[in-house]
Amino acid sequence: MAEETLKKILIIEDEQELVLSLATLLKSRKYLTVAAYDSLYGISLAHQENVDLIILDLGLPAGGGFYVLENLRKSIKTNTIPVLVLTARTEKELEEKALKLGVAAYMHKPFDPEELLSRISEILTDK
Amino acid sequence: MKNQERISDNKRLDLVLQELKENPYRKFRLAFYLMSIIPFLVFLYLLVARFFTIKILMGDIGLIMFISIFISLCGFYVGYSIIKNILNKVIIYASEAKHSDQLKSTFVASVSHELKNPLSAIKTNLFNMLTGLVGNINEEQKNILQLCQNVIERMTYLINDLLDLHKIEAGMIETKRVLCNFIEILEKQIKELEAMFNKKYIKLVKEIQGDDLLFWADDEKITRVINNLLSNAIKYTPEGGSVILKIYPAGEFVKLECVNTGSVIPPDKINKLFNKFERLDSTKEGTGLGLAITKDIVEMHKGKIWAESESGEGTKFIIVLPRDLRTKKR
Repeated sequence: MAEETLKKILIIEDEQELVLSLATLLKSRKYLTVAAYDSLYGISLAHQENVDLIILDLGLPAGGGFYVLENLRKSIKTNTIPVLVLTARTEKELEEKALKLGVAAYMHKPFDPEELLSRISEILTDK
Repeated sequence: MKNQERISDNKRLDLVLQELKENPYRKFRLAFYLMSIIPFLVFLYLLVARFFTIKILMGDIGLIMFISIFISLCGFYVGYSIIKNILNKVIIYASEAKHSDQLKSTFVASVSHELKNPLSAIKTNLFNMLTGLVGNINEEQKNILQLCQNVIERMTYLINDLLDLHKIEAGMIETKRVLCNFIEILEKQIKELEAMFNKKYIKLVKEIQGDDLLFWADDEKITRVINNLLSNAIKYTPEGGSVILKIYPAGEFVKLECVNTGSVIPPDKINKLFNKFERLDSTKEGTGLGLAITKDIVEMHKGKIWAESESGEGTKFIIVLPRDLRTKKR
């Protein structure tokens, strides 16, 4: 399969071990991955790379997940990229806030890898 | 750590309130008595002067009154100082309590982040290995990895239960009040746990009185209560046993009885069932927090939960919930 046709996923997550395991998992389904370990670099990569989906953590250094989400929504270049929130936080209000900002899916950690793959597949099919 | 530092927030509040309740009034009462003693002293002086034919001097009366008023004012001043001091303590306590609440929120957020993130990484890596994404593994390696996966699942339950319990006890969870249908909640949970009932060939008997047992409650939390009770009943009922569910209205309340044909719980252990980490049988899966959380949720709804266990009848868990939580003070 040519690289141009492969879907590219940006992982914005500060836990490096999790990023590595996610990258391995996503690679198994032929997804390309790029990763950022903080909010600002995440926003910058979302603008530079032509990504199809963003996996976003909420507890991030340099701004936090909502800062990233609000910035992505403000820019014409990034406001249509679907975002899948992957967070350890369980507060209902955070989920409601994220859904109001138009996230495609909201999942809690520790997540079921199979479920994550199926949600990603659904989002990318609907896109 | 000094004992004083270990005093809990509630205990400290009690102490401050106790001080506020008693001390200043005592001082003011003293001042009042001193004030009321003035006419008595004047009367006494006049009486003594009459009997001993002492010339009454207006200056003497004035002196007595002056001394009495001075003592009274001192009493008022002391009372005022004490009230001021206690009010200051209350203000400091209130700001400390606010800070403590913020710390609790931060604690929950930190625990969530620091424990769930590594768990996610371990879980994903185990999945990657078990599904052969990073190379083939033999049967023995697969079994070991599956054991690890089970442990991770158990840890996840434990962390979630601990966080829930912490949130409930710290008052960080609000109770919604929506109109719920008890039967609907129950049926949904029975369906969810159907596979577990079938796996142990447990017969479920339902005895429902009343067509629509509507009541005001937090539907998500009551769902958790029902799920905990049923899961517990399944866990402690032997294969081929039965679980009897009785639901009926009882005046302003709705009552649920969940009876399982498991072993009888001795009286000295039955009261400890709702304690944290209390497990009757350590071989059974579970965190030992389920019933503690259940009790907290029931009490959040101004309800009651208790257990009864008798030989030949099995163990019965009884929950009584007010039908209209809106009329109950929180």
